[in-house]
Amino acid sequence: MGNRAMLDIRHYSKSYGAGKKAADDVTLSVMSGDIYGFIGHNGAGKSTTIRAVVGVLDFTDGEILIDGHSVKDEPMACKRVTAYIPDNPDLYENLTGIQYLNFVADVFGLGSAEREQGIRHYADLFEITDDLGDLIGAYSHGMRQKLAIISALIHDPKLLVLDEPFVGLDPKATFTLKEVMREMCARGAAVFFSTHVLDVAEKLCNKVAIIKQGRIIASGTMEELTEGHSLEETFLEETFLEADGDA
Amino acid sequence: MRDGVVLLKALLLSTSQRNIYRHTTDGRKQRRIIANAVGFAFLYVMIMAYCVTMCVGYGIIGMAEAVPALCALTLCALAFVFTLFKTNGYLFNFKEYDALMSLPFEPSTVAGCKFLYMYVKSLPWYASISLSMMVGYAIFARPPVVAYLAWVVLSLFLPVVPMLAASLIGLLIAKLSAGFKKTNIVQTLLMFVFVLAFFALRFVMDDLFRNNKTELVLEQMSAMTADAARSYPPAGWFADAIAKGSVPGALLLVGVSVALFAIVFRIVGQSYRSINSALRSHAAKGRYRMTAQRRRSVMGAIAFKELKRMTGSSVYMVNGAMGEVLAVFLGVGTLVIGFDRIVATVTQGAPIDAAILRPAIPLIVYFLIGMVATTTCSPSLEGKNYWILQSLPIEMKTVYQGKMLFNLCLSVPFMVFATLCLCVSARVPVLDTGLYLLLGLALCAFSTAWGCVCGIRHMRLDWENEVEVIKQGAAVVVYLFPNMFVTMGLTVLVVVLGMHIDGRLVALVLTLLATALAVISYVWVVRMAQRGSSLEGQGDAKGTASQVAKP
Repeated sequence: MGNRAMLDIRHYSKSYGAGKKAADDVTLSVMSGDIYGFIGHNGAGKSTTIRAVVGVLDFTDGEILIDGHSVKDEPMACKRVTAYIPDNPDLYENLTGIQYLNFVADVFGLGSAEREQGIRHYADLFEITDDLGDLIGAYSHGMRQKLAIISALIHDPKLLVLDEPFVGLDPKATFTLKEVMREMCARGAAVFFSTHVLDVAEKLCNKVAIIKQGRIIASGTMEELTEGHSLEETFLEETFLEADGDA
Repeated sequence: MRDGVVLLKALLLSTSQRNIYRHTTDGRKQRRIIANAVGFAFLYVMIMAYCVTMCVGYGIIGMAEAVPALCALTLCALAFVFTLFKTNGYLFNFKEYDALMSLPFEPSTVAGCKFLYMYVKSLPWYASISLSMMVGYAIFARPPVVAYLAWVVLSLFLPVVPMLAASLIGLLIAKLSAGFKKTNIVQTLLMFVFVLAFFALRFVMDDLFRNNKTELVLEQMSAMTADAARSYPPAGWFADAIAKGSVPGALLLVGVSVALFAIVFRIVGQSYRSINSALRSHAAKGRYRMTAQRRRSVMGAIAFKELKRMTGSSVYMVNGAMGEVLAVFLGVGTLVIGFDRIVATVTQGAPIDAAILRPAIPLIVYFLIGMVATTTCSPSLEGKNYWILQSLPIEMKTVYQGKMLFNLCLSVPFMVFATLCLCVSARVPVLDTGLYLLLGLALCAFSTAWGCVCGIRHMRLDWENEVEVIKQGAAVVVYLFPNMFVTMGLTVLVVVLGMHIDGRLVALVLTLLATALAVISYVWVVRMAQRGSSLEGQGDAKGTASQVAKP
């Protein structure tokens, strides 16, 4: 476990107009079995990086590999092993929850029994089974989030990418999601997620990267990075140090 | 008043392409806006040329004096139909309802501003029609300078009353459907009923006017316009103000429009909050029990998703399926009334043998079925959900194939039904019926694939209201008008050719032509999808770049 790169970001950069770099030479590796936290201030470049990883956003420089496949050259191979949950999942409001899950299952070619088992398992786990017959338009933010999580898990991805996954989830669902992430990694998959909740990151992740103004300013295992301090102290120290350095 | 101005300004700015152009740093988006503007300018020129030509035609046959009434009636009819289609989505049940109503605005202010927003957005269309008809009128009538001024000012007020009428009907539909559990279905059904009633009304009026025993067709047209202007006072007031310089007519038009606006939005304002609350609340059943799940192909899954998208929106449903519903009415109507009698009604008793119109049957049906292809707006309708397709392992080609499959599943059965009804009623031989069905299929395939080309080329994901892409999207406009005019032209051509050469040969040639065009369009779609399926140049649903394919 931990010896195969599930996600390899090499010198990735993304520029928006007028030369402003949202991500600048980002390099990091997520190995199988890793729960990798990606932390940074608002607008630091977390979502931009994540959206490039999952193929939603194109990028100018660098390379992103998922399970050895290039996101640029082999997007389908990458997407087949990846699942993505955005920060604010806009789902098809006119589908019912079960119709949406079946749609995703169809795309991943899951058989009838396999999908039923997966949906039943995760829907029960997140306590949303009773609501699967309702239109997504009638769902609360938390329920949409749960549905997006279930749709991401039913096809058993090798890499789970989440953007602020705990926002809007109730405490029980937050606990369940953390358990699911641990189980996935125990099976050899990898999890890469952004968060503002440093306590969660500290308890859940074995590796962390801190991004500031599009650049990775610190990364490594939790122990290497924190050196006996809390992640919050380390984060503040790193970001302030950088600020001082900038000044 | 100040609140209203502030809100209206914000509403207009929020969907202003000029504003997006000025503030975006995305060059592709800017180029797309320019391309859309050029496309719309071309359309305006086409419409204006058509209007001027029509008025010149009136002038040549000595009916220039009927032009002001004709202009008023045209504007009013368009304003009524356009508004009726848009009330749900613009006036009621719109996305930013919660945000707007949480601000210190009176419900009547919000409703009034939403109405004025619809009015201002449609104004360029009305103005282009009105001004071009004024030019056509001026060539022959040579009115005094004040008439031009009156024309320009009064034509601004002409759409107000029909728009208010359509809004009231929209209110009625919203109020009625808000009382039901399945508000969406009821709303869609009621919308269909009102639109069909409006179309039917045109034939009833036609019949009434024809009972005036007017001998000549030209005189009849003039009489019809005059009768219609009398039946609809604002058109009469406008015509009197222009042609006779009637000041009371002008004052009545302005006064009634303004007064009705104030009254209607007082009424709408009173129940605005309760109607919208009912329309926007969804009662969750929460009693789902897991059962065996059915597996579909990827394309089938996308087509099913499209079906749910359509049935989930009354605006989409009414716009996308109106042609199909009209085709059913035409088919059943022809069976009941008879092909010959319908031809006699449409040609107003002219000595035409109905048999010569048989070769045009597939085109008549296609005129309705192919009026709107769902593929024109379905790529744009992905909107903020686009991230789902982007992050899933689906080739863009498959996505578009799924969207095309859905349009075919929607259009072909209705085409077959309507064509068979017409053929049976017109006693078309079996072999010809088969040929017409074949031509119908080819036309459906063309409409689907060409619609998809337009839909991809003019894809827009950053819409705020789905009406923007369903009714007013560049893709829909670019597809709809040329398709309509070409079909009308082809219908005439087929009838004329059928009189000189074998009708079967004409049908066969047209089938081959439509098939070739369908294949070309399909290949075009696939190529655009392949170019768009690489991540390079692919859009981002969150607004940084909303173009998928690089046409």
